[in-house]
Amino acid sequence: MKNLYTTPLALAVAVLLGACSSMPTNTTLLDQTHSDYRMAQASPNVNRYAPLELKQAGEALARADASANDKDKPAKVDELAYLAKQKIALTQQVANQKFAEAEVLRNGKEADQLRLQQRSNEADAAKAKAAEAQQAALMAQGDAADAQRKTDEARRVAQEAQTRNMQLEAQLADLAAKKTERGMVITLGDVLFGTDQARLTPEGLRTAQKLADVLQQNPQRKVLVEGFTDSTGSSAHNQELSDRRAAAVRTALAGMGIGSDRVATRGYGEAYPVAANDTAQNRQMNRRVEIVLSDETGKTVQR
Amino acid sequence: MTKNTWALALSATALALLVGCSSMKTPATADVAVSKAAVDSAAGAGGAEFAPLEMESARTKMAAANKAMANKDYKLAASLANEAQADAKLAQGKANSAKAQAAADALQDNLRVLREELDRASKTN
Repeated sequence: MKNLYTTPLALAVAVLLGACSSMPTNTTLLDQTHSDYRMAQASPNVNRYAPLELKQAGEALARADASANDKDKPAKVDELAYLAKQKIALTQQVANQKFAEAEVLRNGKEADQLRLQQRSNEADAAKAKAAEAQQAALMAQGDAADAQRKTDEARRVAQEAQTRNMQLEAQLADLAAKKTERGMVITLGDVLFGTDQARLTPEGLRTAQKLADVLQQNPQRKVLVEGFTDSTGSSAHNQELSDRRAAAVRTALAGMGIGSDRVATRGYGEAYPVAANDTAQNRQMNRRVEIVLSDETGKTVQR
Repeated sequence: MTKNTWALALSATALALLVGCSSMKTPATADVAVSKAAVDSAAGAGGAEFAPLEMESARTKMAAANKAMANKDYKLAASLANEAQADAKLAQGKANSAKAQAAADALQDNLRVLREELDRASKTN
């Protein structure tokens, strides 16, 4: 009777023990999960960015291993292995995410740096441009002042020339100069010379002095001195007299500081009378010296 | 007395083994609720777009878990809910990672453009 109870109980215990104590359960999924876990453990990014997730995955894998060691059914082991496998996959995703976020942070700083540089470059360029513009403005100002100075100078020169011309005109008017097609012509009458002589009278010298003043003030001008006589006497005598009278004027001017190179002389004798040689008054008019004033370039027109 | 003691000891051992080898059949309501929250969160993070496979798997398993609950198969319901939760968390991880990568790529592009502009500017100056 006692054995009747004991035997089935002992049997049941033996069966249960047997079920629980066979070799550890092994499944393909569990092997695969171990392989995934080793890869995750070897990844620097996972270790750096997802240590917590890796720890949790390790714990899930340990539960699957424990289940296998407890000789649970493959389905039960696979269920736990699957959970571990998904958690291991998650570690890689979290690591990727954190890595990308770190990159965003790093690149964001660099972008800020670059934008700063860009702005400071633009500011520098603007500053340089402004300095350049200022330089140009200063130069333009200098040019304008220069131009103004030149204009003033030109005006002053023109004014001087005008003054000189007016002075010259006044002096020439004083010398009773006549405007002819050969230029201004001053006539020294017979009375300014001694009768039949080539010597200038004091009055003639005064006139010569006035002419010398004009020549001194207008150094670019020259004169042509022409001597004329009336028809009385021999032609040779008249020619000689006209030569000498013209030369006398040159000598007088030389004595007043006018170089002979500026004074050309020419005797025409009794040629080119200004009146008929019929009356004493007309003959006196023909006895004369004409002085032709050159233009500003020093040119005179010969008869 | 001795025989009774033996029988009692054997019975206790058998009971202990039974308890040790079989899982407890407690209602899996909490597991299912937590998993549902994980699935919803993953869906909100763009899991369907960035991890369609994991999302689909999580949804299918959630539906199956609910069905098991209705059938009062709490053990199966808890298992399915746990798997659905693992899938959902992976889906969310993939979505987050993809979005972070997209942001990093976009910034990288910006950076490249900025560098080019600076290069051009320094060449023309």
